Amino acid sequence: MSLLLETVDLHKSFGGITAVDGATIDVETGSITGLIGPNGSGKTTLFNLITGVFTPDAGDVFFAGKKVTAARADKLCHMGLARTFQITRLFWNRSVLENMMVPVPHVGLRSLFGPGMRSEEEGRAMALLERVGLDHLHDQPAKELSFGQQKLLELAAVLMSNPSLVLLDEPAGGVNPTMIGFIMELVRALHQEGVTFLIVEHNMPMVMELCDRVLVLDVGVRIADGTPAAIQSNPRVLDAYLGQ
Amino acid sequence: MLVQVLLTGVLTGGVYALMVSGLSLIFGVMRVINIAHGAFLVLGAYLSYWLFTLAGVDPILSILVIAPLFYLVGVGVQRGLISRVGGDAGFVVLLTIAVAVSLEGIMGALWQSTVRTVRTDYTSTVLSFTVGTMPLRVPLVRLGGFAASLLILAALYLVLTRTRLGRAIRATIQNPEAAQLVGVNIAKVKATTFGIGLATVAAGGAMFSLIFSFNAGSHVEWISKMLSIIVLGGLGSLPGALIAALLLGAVENLSAVVMTSYISPIVFYLILFLVLVFRPQGLLGTRLRKS
Amino acid sequence: MTFPKVSRLWFGLGLIVLLALPWLFRNPYYHLLGFNLWLLVVTASAWNMLSGYTGYKSLGHSAFFGLGAYLVAITAARYGWNPLWSAPVLGLGVGVIALLVGWVLLRADGSAFVIASIAVLLIFRLLALNLRGLTSGAPGLSQPLPPWSPQFSRMPFYYYMLGLAIITVGVSGFIRRTRFGLGLFAIRDDEGKAASVGVATNLYKVLAFGISAYFMGVAGGIWSYFQGHISPIFTFDILNDVDMVIASMLGGLGTLWGPVLGAFIIVPARDLILFRFGESQIHLAVFGVLMILIIVLLPNGIITTYRNRRRRRAGRTSAFAGARTAAEMTEAAQKADQSGPEKPVR
Repeated sequence: MSLLLETVDLHKSFGGITAVDGATIDVETGSITGLIGPNGSGKTTLFNLITGVFTPDAGDVFFAGKKVTAARADKLCHMGLARTFQITRLFWNRSVLENMMVPVPHVGLRSLFGPGMRSEEEGRAMALLERVGLDHLHDQPAKELSFGQQKLLELAAVLMSNPSLVLLDEPAGGVNPTMIGFIMELVRALHQEGVTFLIVEHNMPMVMELCDRVLVLDVGVRIADGTPAAIQSNPRVLDAYLGQ
Repeated sequence: MLVQVLLTGVLTGGVYALMVSGLSLIFGVMRVINIAHGAFLVLGAYLSYWLFTLAGVDPILSILVIAPLFYLVGVGVQRGLISRVGGDAGFVVLLTIAVAVSLEGIMGALWQSTVRTVRTDYTSTVLSFTVGTMPLRVPLVRLGGFAASLLILAALYLVLTRTRLGRAIRATIQNPEAAQLVGVNIAKVKATTFGIGLATVAAGGAMFSLIFSFNAGSHVEWISKMLSIIVLGGLGSLPGALIAALLLGAVENLSAVVMTSYISPIVFYLILFLVLVFRPQGLLGTRLRKS
Repeated sequence: MTFPKVSRLWFGLGLIVLLALPWLFRNPYYHLLGFNLWLLVVTASAWNMLSGYTGYKSLGHSAFFGLGAYLVAITAARYGWNPLWSAPVLGLGVGVIALLVGWVLLRADGSAFVIASIAVLLIFRLLALNLRGLTSGAPGLSQPLPPWSPQFSRMPFYYYMLGLAIITVGVSGFIRRTRFGLGLFAIRDDEGKAASVGVATNLYKVLAFGISAYFMGVAGGIWSYFQGHISPIFTFDILNDVDMVIASMLGGLGTLWGPVLGAFIIVPARDLILFRFGESQIHLAVFGVLMILIIVLLPNGIITTYRNRRRRRAGRTSAFAGARTAAEMTEAAQKADQSGPEKPVR
């Protein structure tokens, strides 16, 4: 299997505090890879280093075989790397449908000054909204959605950019069990359709059930790597979680 | 010659330090850039001028009257206006600009556009002395302004380091959330800080009236000067602001010698622009960014 | 733009009225008022394209107004270029300079951006004061009088500015409907998020800056012709920015018609205030207090406040909008579950 995403020895510290100290991880094409670790183990920082929010102090990021270290977030998105945020981020004053339309890829000035709403893309957006059960709310402002609906909208909107890899930052955080089940179904279905996932999550049952491979981080360093079953019985993992 | 220019510059810089200390303090606590600071400076100068011409009160003594008055105004502005505009930093800046425009209008109506200054009987006194073989000349008002500024800054330093209030202010500057958790009343600290900030600029204004001439429109030039000082020093960093004030006092005096005085303010505008764009954290201090 | 039929009819009628007004009110004073009105519609709408749409509140935007004014005045005085055609052409130059300035300036954001933008204005003003060979410094520049009969002196300006206002509002409305406009609104709401879903935020912001500056420059050019004489202090004046900000905010920041509505309120109000208080500087204070009141009491402006209020009233009848309770959330989740993953779309 080929590697879709690879980070090589990434380092990042903030004012003398090391957040990520040599992260080397990889994500295989077509996998659902879980990324776990105790609080403050640098998972979100690693996401931010991969997606160009922070510039790494050292190390490199490769995506689809190309070096993309510290590349601009919008360029990465165009290459097919999408992400969601731990605390849901939407365009709060825009309608649900407009939130779906912002990520639609476009090329050149002509398309830039083309209509913001286009029939074929709008159809795709409505179909995706229907899939997550938000189609009837398409003209509501995003800020008026419930918490769970906002999470679903963020995920659905990200899919509009046709990503090959989606980074999910705590998709189950603060969400009720019914919704967690629904999100898992959705991820599985999208995976069937060819999307690769890298998921940071604290909900262990979800990670173990959903992922085919799990990476464990501590201070951004990979301390374990394997199938969910192997991870659950790995003594170093237990140490990292219990010994902190 | 060079030493003479630098000396005058540093003496002026001391007064600048007093003028900007409040601006820096207000930013540190509230993350608000008070564009009206220049207008309050000129208002302080006008009030000193009034007390001097109408009642014969020496500007330095008049501080005792205007500073408490400005303190109250500051508390009122924070409680009544700024605290009502939440969130968007851009809106708060616009609000302080609106306050500045209002003050300019009021001052213009009260004192017309004639350029004023306070001329006491010691205004033109110049002290001359020699260091080694170098003759130096120092206008008494600049020396007095420098000394009084240092005194007030020292008092401010004591308030900030030795009192409960000062500790609360410094805690809020460092981390507002944590300060709130340990029981600091943030709303009160903000109001008090705005009050103190304006009280210091009132004192600065009194000194200003002795050294410079001004009219209602002068605040635009002075707020840009004061902003470039605190931006260079690093927003919210009081020590940074003091260093930058001395530095810019000296640079300004030098550039006035090197360039024509018409173009020399460009030094300040360029510093303001370049630092904000390329090094928002200044010499010392925090980055002025959304995230 | 496609108008519905009724609104096209009203648009036509309105246009006829606006065209007829100068003939109905022959007093040149009204022509001056009309010119100032359309001028503020242009500048406030142009300001709104940048600051209202992206959230980057520039207070130095009249730097480009002044630049346009000076370019037009200099070329008119030296080469005899007629401002009526040179303004829209030289505006392109203003736009290009603005792209360069914006490219640097837009690295700052929040209040740093506001202040850095003021610094730009002050730098431009200082240059106008000091590049005496080009600008004649503080006394300013004069340019030839318009060739038409003094009897009509202000009427052509009224029509020109009306035309420019219609074009500016048209472009502003056009931008709102494009992908570009969608991206600008996304930047206003959450710039980092916008970048993460593929919006080239720098390109968008700088383009908006340039387009906005183009209209500022053209308006400045025509204004300088109208004035006949310009000087740095009044051409590069932060109070021009204050006018634009008040008009846009009062009407509704980021809306299409907000700046227009604001201008229709501000220009007559300013005239009344000036008339009432005459030479005294107190009109500045009245203006400042007005701005304070708008920011504190009506930060969303008339149009947005009205819309929100109407929405809220409608919202009470639709139970689902704004569902925030746990029960409603579960309900939503179940609903989502049922219509779930059976229908793949990709």
